[in-house]
Amino acid sequence: MEANKEEPKIGVFICRCGFNIGGVIDVSAVAEYAKNLPNVVFAEEDLYTCSSAGLDSIKKQIGKFKLNRVIVASCTPATHESLFQKTCEEAGLNKYLFEMANIREHCSWVHMHLPAEATEKAKDLVRMAVAKASYLEPQKEMELDICPSALVIGGGISGITAAMSLARQGFEVHLVDKEAELGGMLNHLFKLQPTEREASEILREAIIAVKANSNIHLHLSTLVHEVSGFIGDFNVTLQTKNSNQSERIRVGTIIVATGAEEFKPTGMHGYNESLNVVTQLELEQLLRKGELKKPKVVMIQCVGAREKTGRTYCGRICCHVALDNALQLKKLDPNIDVTILFRDIQTPGENEHLYKEAMANCVNFIRYDPNRPPKVAFKADGNPSVTVYDVYLGTEIELESDLLVLSTPLIQHEDGRKLSSVLKVPLGADGFFFEAHPKLRPVDFASEGIYVCGTAHGPKNIVESITQAYATASKASIPMAAKKIKTGAVKASVNQENCVNCNACLVSCVFNAIESSAFGLPRILEANCKGCGVCASECPTGAMQLRHYKDDQIIAAIKALFRSRKRPEPNESFKPVILCFACQWCSYAAADLAGVSRIQYPPNVRILRVPCSGRVDVLHILKAFQSGADGVIITGCLIGDCHYIDGNVKAKERVDVMKKSLQSQGINPKRLEIGFASSSEGQKFAGMMTDFVKEMEKLGPNSSTSKREGEKLVQDTGKA
Amino acid sequence: MYKILAKRELAPHINLFEFSADEVSTKTKPGQFVILRIDEDGERIPLTIADADPGKGTIAVACHEVGKTTTQLGRLKEGDFVLDLLGPLGKPTRIEKFGTVLCVGGGVMVAPLHFQAKAFREAGNNVIGIVGATTSDHLIFLEEMETTCNHLIVATDDGTKGHKGMDFLKDLIKETKIDRVVAEGPIVMMKAVSDLTRQHGIPTMVNLIPIMVDGMGMCGACRVTVDGKTSFACVDGLEFDGHKVDFDELLARLKVYTPQEKLAYVFSEQGERN
Repeated sequence: MEANKEEPKIGVFICRCGFNIGGVIDVSAVAEYAKNLPNVVFAEEDLYTCSSAGLDSIKKQIGKFKLNRVIVASCTPATHESLFQKTCEEAGLNKYLFEMANIREHCSWVHMHLPAEATEKAKDLVRMAVAKASYLEPQKEMELDICPSALVIGGGISGITAAMSLARQGFEVHLVDKEAELGGMLNHLFKLQPTEREASEILREAIIAVKANSNIHLHLSTLVHEVSGFIGDFNVTLQTKNSNQSERIRVGTIIVATGAEEFKPTGMHGYNESLNVVTQLELEQLLRKGELKKPKVVMIQCVGAREKTGRTYCGRICCHVALDNALQLKKLDPNIDVTILFRDIQTPGENEHLYKEAMANCVNFIRYDPNRPPKVAFKADGNPSVTVYDVYLGTEIELESDLLVLSTPLIQHEDGRKLSSVLKVPLGADGFFFEAHPKLRPVDFASEGIYVCGTAHGPKNIVESITQAYATASKASIPMAAKKIKTGAVKASVNQENCVNCNACLVSCVFNAIESSAFGLPRILEANCKGCGVCASECPTGAMQLRHYKDDQIIAAIKALFRSRKRPEPNESFKPVILCFACQWCSYAAADLAGVSRIQYPPNVRILRVPCSGRVDVLHILKAFQSGADGVIITGCLIGDCHYIDGNVKAKERVDVMKKSLQSQGINPKRLEIGFASSSEGQKFAGMMTDFVKEMEKLGPNSSTSKREGEKLVQDTGKA
Repeated sequence: MYKILAKRELAPHINLFEFSADEVSTKTKPGQFVILRIDEDGERIPLTIADADPGKGTIAVACHEVGKTTTQLGRLKEGDFVLDLLGPLGKPTRIEKFGTVLCVGGGVMVAPLHFQAKAFREAGNNVIGIVGATTSDHLIFLEEMETTCNHLIVATDDGTKGHKGMDFLKDLIKETKIDRVVAEGPIVMMKAVSDLTRQHGIPTMVNLIPIMVDGMGMCGACRVTVDGKTSFACVDGLEFDGHKVDFDELLARLKVYTPQEKLAYVFSEQGERN
């Protein structure tokens, strides 16, 4: 409010949405009700607020009543929030002074047969929005200049592809590789399927193109030593491997294409004990040299992959690599006897033909049981003999061979691990680089402006690596072509007065958006801040806040919800009032979907939108109970799907802590719950709400006044 | 019961308390700490001793109000009592004649650092002091440090007084031969100082106060990783080799109880208002 010192003058526009809202909710009654709310100077109902007449009315009333806050109670913000914000801006009102109340998806559509209750709920939702609006502040959005050059780390086929794609679009590219020559893994491969072309041939053409392109600066035998900054303005220090010379460059975007290495199965199946035991990659070297004269070859699949712990993942390309190499051996000499010992042959899509061809060419297949893995012994002549329990025959078979080939997965290499800490981007449990979202942002990192492609991200074949490389080039070109990006204004901000320099905010931020000054004052890198608000909830003193979702704004809405709550008459049945915090992503969308699908759930639930479940502070929960909530439920994206990496995990941890504290306050911990739903789980969302309401009905009203019990709580939590 | 003989506001929400604590004062050496408990239901909080006067039988501690107990302590006045003052605990700072000693202090911890600086000076060292804070209002003990140190430098994060930030330290280290650095303040500050001095091979000691419970090496709450090994700050510290401390782990461990601390504060403040 400080930035906008004048008294709030709030205008409320309530949409009938034709029959969609008006058919259930008494919209006129809600409009009348809104007129009497604090700071409201104007309220009206519209047939369709989103129509041009509706929008004109908003603009007209802003002018006429000098409105400095506008609320539209209508559909989900996902549909028209930006339209209404734009309308406000056209009338000279900062778009951050606009607020929505969702009375369609979250109300009329989910309580179709309960018009009285739905009308009461709509009044509550409007009252909450009005209360929050009084505390809204105008915000300024930031514009960042984007340096139109990219750093591509890794000069394998992925890195080459990404670099070429960007260079052809006219961007300057710095292509860095730790080796003295470009090409990466392809340097070690033999013939590529399905074209049978030599890998070296494809590579030669690609490398010539890279070297001929004047937009590409090659940095070979070079490592990325240090990176600071953010999208549009990364400062990178490169270090030459041998001479230790360093060079500083400035880039706008970064693509990680550092590839992977083949797992060397030391100590497994006699590897390292005999030259006659090799990996698939080593076999390809032998094939390339054309020196192979081995009449009996045995291959073992899934060596060091799909393990119970550690490398639990499937190597993904080993099956078709083995089939391809088996066929190459057969082509060399059809009399070579090739046997593949497998757990499951996995050849999706086009690769299936390799399997058929291998069978047609008399490659032998024996299925082994991972609990009884093949055993290798060496004969006097040094040749490996493999004993395997054949699952189908139910008996042990001894196979003589003069070459044993082990199919091992790709793994992250040491340089990749180091790069992860240099770039401050995460690695997954499998050791590979970890994308921001498995479905929605598959080649992005959570940190803006950094992307990943190829086997750095996990085992992939060449086609997939190239496809991903194009994807990263495309993603990186968006901000570089735009030259500027606008970042939203929902960012963290710190109040120096209250900061106690504990740096809990810095530790909790997964986007590297908070740095510390020399003596502990947090500094927010707005370009990196994604607006989740986790830092604000982790701050012990409230010094850290999230703009547009500040504590006072959230708490105003919470208090307003319970302000006019009537205590039930003695003969009236108990109707619990439940506050649901919903993250603005999956769980809010799930609630919307429940509405769109007309899945009915009890009208006791009031949904308050927060950016992330991780923004919900213990204080907000406490405030809700103290104001009279019978239950509080927090909803977030599914674990692993959080749009801010792990905000929902932090929310869960906080709920666990809070439950203990509630107990000591005489509030049943069952009154607090947390649930997770994907945006497609409208049914699940409605189910969670139904179950929670039933549970609260069983518990009865929250009669705790929850005061004066602080001391007791401290004892309890102090020991926690 | 320990009586507050004097209370002085050093900065907003930062107070210096002088306690009558006869026996503690006779044994206290710079770098040691006490565990204080206000009343029977109170939380035990570790505070590094900022001064001791065996003649008067007093010790001094500085306290920044950051949560429930520190705020309660901040409300106490001269003549009030606290229930216990356990100490001195921990190992004293290694005080010797090193040559030139650089004492870097940040925020409230400048007060206990001053106690060490005084001892370094008395041991015949050339003492350079750095007093830092986020902003000029939070600078404390400027006069005391001015008197104690041979040379004093002031810095703030926002540049409202003295140098802005700590970039000046790079030049200082290059231009001046420094034999030992002692840093006491926010963890990020101690980390930054240690990172800088490591490159120049200057021995650097930092003073760590993690979350503590018993303060006598029994519970393990205050464990810190130093040189890859677990140490207990309460009995092995507070002073550690800054070049070997895992500061990131320490930062992460310190915030583990934030929700509980926040709730405790709110409940306690409600009790205060009602």
